[in-house]
Amino acid sequence: MIPLLQASQFPGRHSVLEPAGAQAALIKDGLWDPMFVTASVTFALVVAALLWALLRRRVGGETLEDPARQRRLGLTVSLATAVTTIVLFVFLVVDSTVGRATTATPGHSALQIRVTGHQWWWEVQYRDSLAQHWVTTANEIHIPVGRPVVVELRSTDVIHSFWPPNLSAKRDLIPGHENSLWLEADSSGEYRGQCAEYCGHQHAKMAFLVVAEPSDSFAGWLAGQRDTAATPADSLTRRGQEVFLGSACPMCHAVAGTPAGSRVGPDLTHLGSRRTLAAGTLPNTRGNLAGWIVNPQAIKPGAKMPPNALSPDDLQALLAYLETLR
Amino acid sequence: MTSMLEATDRDRSGRTAASEAEVVMALEQTWRPEPGLWGWLRSVDHKSVATRYLVTAFVFFLLAGLEAATMRLQLARPENRLLGPDAYNQFFTMHGTTMMFLFAVPVMQAAGLYLVPLMIGARNVAFPKLNAYGYWVYLFGGVFLYLMFFLNTGPDAGWFSYVPLAGPEYSPGKRVDVWAQAITFTEIAALTASVELIVTIFKMRAPGMTLNRMPLFVWAMLVQSFMVLFAMPWVATASQFLAMDRLVATHFFNQAEGGDPLLWQHLFWFFGHPEVYIIFIPALGFVSSIVTTFTRRPVFGYPAMVLSLVGTAFLGFGLWVHHMFATGLPQLGESFFTAASMMIAIPSGVQIFCWIATIWEGRPRFGVPFLWAIGFVVVFIIGGFTGVMIASVPFDQQVHDTYFIVAHFHYVLIGGAVFPLFGAFHYWFPKVTGRMLSERLGRWQFWLFFVGVNLTFFPMHQLGFEGMPRRVYTYLPETGWGSLNLLATVGAVIMAVSVVLFLVNLARSLRAPHLAGDNPWGGETLEWATTSPPRPYNFPLVPVVDGRMPLWQHPDGLPALAGLRTDVRDVLMTTVLDAEPDSRHRHPPPTIWPFCAAIATTITFITLIFTPWGLVIGFPFLLVAFIGWAWPRGQDHQEQRRVEAEAAVEVAG
Amino acid sequence: MTAFRPVGTVANLPNTVFGHRSAMWWGTLAFIVIEGSTLFICAVSYFYVAQRFPTWPPEHVLRPAWTAASIQAALMLLSNIPMVMVDRAALRLDLATVRAGMLVISLLAVVMCGVRVLEFGALGVRWDSTAYGSVAWATLVTHTTLLLLETVESLVFTLLLYSPNLEQRDLSGSSDNALYWYFMTGVWIPLAAMVFLSPYLL
Repeated sequence: MIPLLQASQFPGRHSVLEPAGAQAALIKDGLWDPMFVTASVTFALVVAALLWALLRRRVGGETLEDPARQRRLGLTVSLATAVTTIVLFVFLVVDSTVGRATTATPGHSALQIRVTGHQWWWEVQYRDSLAQHWVTTANEIHIPVGRPVVVELRSTDVIHSFWPPNLSAKRDLIPGHENSLWLEADSSGEYRGQCAEYCGHQHAKMAFLVVAEPSDSFAGWLAGQRDTAATPADSLTRRGQEVFLGSACPMCHAVAGTPAGSRVGPDLTHLGSRRTLAAGTLPNTRGNLAGWIVNPQAIKPGAKMPPNALSPDDLQALLAYLETLR
Repeated sequence: MTSMLEATDRDRSGRTAASEAEVVMALEQTWRPEPGLWGWLRSVDHKSVATRYLVTAFVFFLLAGLEAATMRLQLARPENRLLGPDAYNQFFTMHGTTMMFLFAVPVMQAAGLYLVPLMIGARNVAFPKLNAYGYWVYLFGGVFLYLMFFLNTGPDAGWFSYVPLAGPEYSPGKRVDVWAQAITFTEIAALTASVELIVTIFKMRAPGMTLNRMPLFVWAMLVQSFMVLFAMPWVATASQFLAMDRLVATHFFNQAEGGDPLLWQHLFWFFGHPEVYIIFIPALGFVSSIVTTFTRRPVFGYPAMVLSLVGTAFLGFGLWVHHMFATGLPQLGESFFTAASMMIAIPSGVQIFCWIATIWEGRPRFGVPFLWAIGFVVVFIIGGFTGVMIASVPFDQQVHDTYFIVAHFHYVLIGGAVFPLFGAFHYWFPKVTGRMLSERLGRWQFWLFFVGVNLTFFPMHQLGFEGMPRRVYTYLPETGWGSLNLLATVGAVIMAVSVVLFLVNLARSLRAPHLAGDNPWGGETLEWATTSPPRPYNFPLVPVVDGRMPLWQHPDGLPALAGLRTDVRDVLMTTVLDAEPDSRHRHPPPTIWPFCAAIATTITFITLIFTPWGLVIGFPFLLVAFIGWAWPRGQDHQEQRRVEAEAAVEVAG
Repeated sequence: MTAFRPVGTVANLPNTVFGHRSAMWWGTLAFIVIEGSTLFICAVSYFYVAQRFPTWPPEHVLRPAWTAASIQAALMLLSNIPMVMVDRAALRLDLATVRAGMLVISLLAVVMCGVRVLEFGALGVRWDSTAYGSVAWATLVTHTTLLLLETVESLVFTLLLYSPNLEQRDLSGSSDNALYWYFMTGVWIPLAAMVFLSPYLL
C-alpha cells in the first residue's frame, strides 16, 4: 500500500521567511529581519568581550584592588546594562507597532470562512445568507487574491492550531472559545499549512492547503462547490454509488444530492476537485485514494477511518464514482 | 558578633578543654552512618540523601536522553518507521516529563542539599527526616512512572497535558492519570526540598555569615527554593483537578459544563514558566562558584548579582501568558506579558556582564569546570536572544509550537542548566568522592557536547521557519525537512558520545584512589575547608565567617566555635539576618520512619489513580507512619532530661 | 584539613527556643505558604469559573445554605482563644495549662470535622453536576484536608502531652502547632465567604 507515497510534485510551499501576504510580511520584514541583525551583532559583541577578557595579556604589576579600576569596570557593566535596556525598549516599541498592524481589523469586504478542527482533519465552510449556498469542504481552503479573509476558528474535540506560515501567524482552535484571524494573499499560489498544537495520534498528519487564486476563478470555484454531486452517468459509476451508499461510507461522510449526509468525516461532494487526501497527507490520485480507502491505518495509524475490505470490482467502481465528484 | 565572642571567651578555659582529636573521635562515634541495607534505608545525613538524589536524577537524565536519541533517530528521515505515533507520543511526553520533573529540578535541589550545609558551615540540613522522606517520595514516583511506561501505560498527552486532549474523553485509560500522579510525587519532593533549603539557609548559617556574606550559590538556592514554594503548588493543584476530572467527573476543564480548557493552561504555565528559572537559577550559582575559583577573583558586583537573581525570580512569575499567545487573549494583556518577557533579559544580562568583568579582572585557568562555564555563556545567550524574540506576540504566533521553540528552549535549558551542571559536577566531584575526574576526558566531553548541541539544535531554528511543528512523529518527504533533521540527528549522536565519555570518566575515576585533597581547585567557600569526602558531621568545630571568601581570607586556619555537644547530634542555630549564634538543636539519629511514610504516601497516591477511596485506604498507613515519625524515642529521653534541666535555667533566666 | 582555630564556644546557648528563633517555626511557615497557595489556587479557579457563567450559581442550582458554615466560622474563630492560651502557656513551660488547652482544642477539632460534613451537605450541589459544583467542592475538600491534618495532629499531640517521653522541646512544638492552627482557622473565614456567600452576591 505504501508505494502511494512516492507521489511526484507535492503542492504547496510553507515558510515563515517567504511571506505571500501582508500579515506574514509584516512579521518577517518588520520583526524577524531587524531582530536577526540585532541578535547577531550582540552575540558577536558578547562573545568578543568574553574572549578578550579570557585571553588578554595580563600585565605583571596590575593592582586589582585599585578603586579607579573597579569604578571603570563598574561603569562598563552599567553601560552594557543600559544599552541592553535601550535595545529592549526599542524592540518593545517596534513589536507593538507590528502587533497593531497585524491585528487591525480588515474592512467589511472581508470574506468569512469557518474552519473547524477535527482529529485529524480540517472542515472548511463558506457561509452565506442563503443556507443552500453554504459550501462545505475539507483540508483545502480557496481564497481570492487581494481580498482580506477572516477565518473563524472552531473546534469540537481538542485544541488545534491553524497555521499557514506564508500567509499569517497561527491561532488556536479551542473548544468553547470563538477565535478568528485574518489573512490576505498577495499573489496566487498554493500554500501549505499544518496543525501546530499537539492534538493526539495523528497531529503529524493534519495539514491543509490554502489555494489563493484570482477573484474570478475563486468565484467560479465557489459556484462549482455549491452544486450537488454529479449524478452517475454510466453503469460503472452507478455501481460505485451503490457501493458507496451500501457500505460504511455514509456513516461518516456526506455527498450532497445523495442520502449520505453525515458530518462526522470530511464532506465528499467535490472530493475529486481536491488536491490532497487525508488532510494533506497524499496527493489525490486514484492509486492513493484506493490505498486510503482500503487501509487508512497503514497511512495514518490511529486515524478515525476504519479499513474497508472491498472486492476489487467494488473498489474500482467506488473509485470511478468518487472521481466523478468534482 | 564580637560581643558574643567576648561573652563566651570567659568560659573557654573550662568548656573547650577537650583536644581536637578527642572532639573528632566523639563526633565520628555520634554521627557514624549505620552499616548495611537497614542503615542505608534509615540514613538522614544530607550528604547521603543528596548523593542518592544526584545519582537517581542522573539515571533519569540518561533515560530521558535515550528517549530523545530514539526520537532523533525516528526523525532522521521522512516517513521513518522506527517509532509509530503511539510510541512516539509516549516518548516525547516521557522525555519532557522526565527532564523537567525527574531530572532538572531534583538535580538542582540535590546539589543544593549536598552543598548548602557545607557552604554555610552546618552539620546537616534543618529537617533531616523530611529530607529523607522527600527523596523516597521522589524515587517512588519516578520508578512508578517508568514502570508504567515499560508496561505501555506511559503518558502520551505531552509534559503539559493540555485538556481536552488529556481529559477523560480524549485520553481514556490510565496513561494521563499516571502522569498526573507522578507529578504529585515529584511536587511533594520538590516542595519538601525547598522548605528544607530555605530553613537551613535561614537558620543554620555559620556565625558571622550575614546575608551579605552568603556565597552566590547559596543565594541562588535560596531564591530558587522560594520560587519552588510559590510555583509548585500550581501544577500540583492543577494536576489534581485534572485527575478529578478524569476520576470523579468534575468539570474544571470541561467547557460543556462551565469549565474551561484555558484554565488549565493558566494554572499550568503559572507554574511552568517559573519552572524554567527554577532550573536556571541554581545553575547561575554554579557558574558564579566556578568563575570565582578559576579566575581567582571574587565575582564582580556581588550586590548586582544578588539583585539579579531576586529580580529574575520576581519577573519569572509575571510572564506565564507568553506561552499562550496563540490562544487569542485580549491584546492589552498580551503587551504586559511581552514587556515582562523582554525585561527578564536585563537581570540575565547583568549577570553575564559581571562574569565577563570578573574574568577580565582575574587570572583565568582553563580547567574543565571553567570550560563548561564559558560554554554556558555562549550557548545560553543564543537561547536568551531567541527568548527575547518570542516575547513579541506576532513573531511568537509565527514560531509558537514549531521547531524554532524546540531550538530556543533547548539552548536555554541545555546551555543554561546542563552546561553549568556538568561544570559543577566536575568541580565538586573531588569534594564528594575524594577523587579527581580526568581533565583530558573532560575536555573531550566538553567539546563533543558543545559541537553536538549546536549541531542538533541550531538547524531546528530553520526547521521551525520552514513550517515544521513540534510533536510530530514523522513528516512527509515533500516537506523538504529531511536534510536538516538528519543533521540534527547527527548532532544528537555526538551528544550521546559525549555523555558516554562522561560515564567512562566517572567509572575510571571511581576506581582510582582518593587523591584529591581538601581543596584541589583552591576554592574560597567553606565546603573546601573540610575533608574530601566530608565526614558525616561536616566540620569538627563550627566555622566562623567574617567575609565572603573565608578560605582566601584565612589561609592559615579558620576561626571556629567549640561547645556543640559531641555525644549527641547537636547542631547550631543562628539568627536569620545576621547569623548570630542563637540556640543549639538536637538532630535526630537515623530512623526508618521517613521511608515508611514515603511507602504510605505511595500506597495512597497509586490507589487514588484507580479509586477516590484511595484517600480512605491510604489514611491509616499515613497515620501510623507520621505518628511513628513524630513520637519521641524513649532512649533519648533519659539523656535529654539532664540537658533540659540545664537549659530550663537559661530559658527562665 | 584546614585547621580550625577555636575562638569561642556555643556551649551555653539554650536548647529550647520558641517562635521565629526555632527552625520548626520557619518550617511551619513554609508549609503555610504551600497550603495557602493551594487554597489561593482554588479561589482563583472559583472566580475564573464564576465569570464564565451568566448567573452565579448557575441556573437551576440552589444557593448554598449558610447555617452550618456560620457555625463553623464561629467555632474556628473562637477556637483561637484556647489556642492562644496554649501558645502562651507553652512559653511559660506551664504543662498543666497546655494539657487542658489541648484537650479543649482536640475536642473542638473533632466537632469541626462533624460540622464540616454538614457543610458539604449545605452546598446543595454535586461536584459532578457543573463546574460550579467542582470548584466549590474542591475548595472545601482542600480545606478539609488541612482540618483533618490539624485534628490528627492535635489528638496525637495531646496524647504526647501525657506521655512519659515528653520533652521540653515538644512544648516549643506546640507553639509551632499553634501557628498552623491560626492559619487553618483564619484562612477559612474568607474561603467560607467565597463558597457560601458569593453565590448570593455575584
